[in-house]
Amino acid sequence: MNILGISAHYHDSAAALVVDGVPVCAVQEERLSRHKNDASFPAAAIEWCLDHAALEPEALDAVVFYERSMLKFERILTCALRSFPRSWRSFPQAIKNSLGEKVWVRGIIASHLGVPRSKIFFTSHHAAHAAAAFFTAPSRHAAILTADGVGEWATLTVGHGERRANGRADITLLREIRYPHSLGMLYSTFTAYLGFAVNEDEYKVMGLAAYGRPTMVEQVRKLIRRTPDGAFALVPEYFEYHTTAARSYSATFVELFGPPRSSFDPIDLETSEGRRFADCAASVQRVLEDTLVDMAGALQRETGLRDLCLGGGVALNGVANARILAEAGFERVFVPPAPGDAGCALGAALYADRVYFGNADREVPDHPFWGPRVDAGELARAAREDSQPVEDLAEPELLEHVAGELASGRIVGWMDGASEFGPRALGHRSILAAPHSVEIRDRLNRDIKFREEFRPFAPVTTVEAAERYFELPPGGLRLARFMSGVFPVRPEWRSMLAAVTHVDGSARLQALDRDMAPRLYSLLEAYGRRTGIPVLLNTSFNIAGEPIVNRALEGYSTFRRCGIDMLVAGTAVVTKRASARPAPLEEEIACAQSAAASGAV
Amino acid sequence: MRVSLGGFVDRLLRPLHHWVWSDFDRRVRKLIAFGEVEGDGGRDILRAAELTPDPLLRRLYLAHAIDELHHADLFRQRSAALLRTRSTRLSSLFNATPLPGGHGLDDLTIEGEPDHRLLAFLHIAEKAAAGRFAIYREIVDDDPATQAIFEEILRDEVFHMNYTYTQLARISPASYRRHVWRARASRLWKRYLRFAAVLAGVFGSAMLTLQYFLLVPLFAWLAKRAEKREPAGWVAITREHIESPTSQY
Repeated sequence: MNILGISAHYHDSAAALVVDGVPVCAVQEERLSRHKNDASFPAAAIEWCLDHAALEPEALDAVVFYERSMLKFERILTCALRSFPRSWRSFPQAIKNSLGEKVWVRGIIASHLGVPRSKIFFTSHHAAHAAAAFFTAPSRHAAILTADGVGEWATLTVGHGERRANGRADITLLREIRYPHSLGMLYSTFTAYLGFAVNEDEYKVMGLAAYGRPTMVEQVRKLIRRTPDGAFALVPEYFEYHTTAARSYSATFVELFGPPRSSFDPIDLETSEGRRFADCAASVQRVLEDTLVDMAGALQRETGLRDLCLGGGVALNGVANARILAEAGFERVFVPPAPGDAGCALGAALYADRVYFGNADREVPDHPFWGPRVDAGELARAAREDSQPVEDLAEPELLEHVAGELASGRIVGWMDGASEFGPRALGHRSILAAPHSVEIRDRLNRDIKFREEFRPFAPVTTVEAAERYFELPPGGLRLARFMSGVFPVRPEWRSMLAAVTHVDGSARLQALDRDMAPRLYSLLEAYGRRTGIPVLLNTSFNIAGEPIVNRALEGYSTFRRCGIDMLVAGTAVVTKRASARPAPLEEEIACAQSAAASGAV
Repeated sequence: MRVSLGGFVDRLLRPLHHWVWSDFDRRVRKLIAFGEVEGDGGRDILRAAELTPDPLLRRLYLAHAIDELHHADLFRQRSAALLRTRSTRLSSLFNATPLPGGHGLDDLTIEGEPDHRLLAFLHIAEKAAAGRFAIYREIVDDDPATQAIFEEILRDEVFHMNYTYTQLARISPASYRRHVWRARASRLWKRYLRFAAVLAGVFGSAMLTLQYFLLVPLFAWLAKRAEKREPAGWVAITREHIESPTSQY
């Protein structure tokens, strides 16, 4: 069966194709449209998936959308009614947004792909999250916990998944917590309060939390109360996200925590105001962790299972994930590489395959590389046309060369094979650097990533070397496979791994298996032979505000306008020349300027 | 450097420009909006650099994109600096951007556009922006730092409008003037469409707001009553619900 999964219309739309029970490709629309967090209908992603699998739309057996759009509309309408008359400003916009496109998704899919309506299916949002987490995890029987801002009504669900002896697999979601009570929205509210972009910058709150002390935990607990059945409820007077789109926190919230931060003010941790914001981040992070650990622990006791699959945007919180692994009683915790809404495209397709159509379970390859492949020839051609020095190197020579450059402090753009599905760069679209000094970290922040100083960089190392440098609990290597956990750097290595050690001594580690990314693994080995430490700094290959690069030309244009020293795509290696603008361009500029001076235009 | 002081409409709007830039809040908001517009424009042109098959155009687009992204930084930094001088609450006065700036009213389509159409569009847009920025530069003479930014940007805009024109003439020597006129016409048409969309949006919002107060109150009362009956905490999920494959409910 050929099943296309689609997620769209909220944030980070994507398409994924499952053929005979196995994913063959998946890509986020933003990687193709080049608009970060592109939420539009993923026309380009669908087209690429079909092209990649050489399928015509008529060959699709099913197209599965990741949520029930009318149920979502019902929630939006109900919330507007419940907050009457305060919702008078947001009501017209919400209705226009929903009726303009979102509720007609069946028609949009049918007209775009030309498939009959009988082939269009829907899953619930959290069932798609659960499927993305469980059906991609190498576990026979696992508890499932999904948490995000909101789907249709659900914001958090618990259940379990099972691969049976008869070859069938199933997911059972037992119960849910409903909007407006949402851990994701609680965290997003603090994201907005701290002056960051909601649905985008939540990870900055996590990074900032390490600089603060959880001195406001009691205040945060006033916002969220635990219910007798072990769930939670948010206290509505502190929030406005359910009544207006303009602001997510209320005046009562501001009374409790003080004035919010303007997004234009830098966070200066030397000032009392900067420390207050950091303490605020640390406090909401602590409450989120405590709540998740408690709920996951209850789920473990209820199911008695050893494995947990986490899904939803909240599962991107690596600090919380590591605490769940350490404290909730599970032996293994699985987080897919794309736990957020983009991953729902894959989850919806897998859910339809296993549950709706009852097809036999198939093993899903345990890697994140489902996107378009990089073309080394494209990079070589563009660089040669720009008179940039290009080398085409054989594998061993290339690895030794790049390892040598990294060891001498160069920063390398690394593109290899198919791009990652999900928000993390896991070794195929990465910027790599030596992890040893804070100067490298500062240079990356200043000249390449153009981002806040408080945000940490992640390390990548081999699974064999990981425990030498990092304190991993049992099961930690699995959580580190897709960079889903934050773990302490061993104290004796912190000074040697200064660029990737956060202020609290932790790091969001990727522990790399040779089978998953063999070239990067070999590069780590080569780097280890030169320096004695097979660890590299690995950050996503993009500049702030832009999606991770996809094609070689996008990597090349990023390379040309920031401080990356060397770009590698497949076997092609481009080293930056000292001159920023090559001679022909200078001539062209002079020509245009002389035209301007003569008033030709 | 010779830059005409904007088009006829911009000259007519000069008192309005004065009104906008004379107020601190509006000035900051305008600079913030410029920062966003220039950043978006820079990313669009960057995309053009990635897609064009012409090596020289790729380099020029790249240089252009770098300039636009730099302008975005300049605007952002200046607005942040102004904000730091006063503890301004931006919501206090004026929430909309009253006047165009940069490529503010121009929808730039990159994917699938041939280079000649893109160059013609960029030429027209940059020329208009240069004219407008020249007016702004004169108006903000009480604020040397902001004036210096416009001065710097203006220099770049002149380069941009000239390279787009010379490159258009290079790649389409027989019909480059026609392309420029078509770009002007297309720009006017797009402005009309945008205006019509805004007008329709305003009309739609007004109708929906009217319905909100006329039709919603009864249902709102019912919804609030139902909400009170809802228990907090866990809600059981029925299997029938999550396994209805074709239902949007």
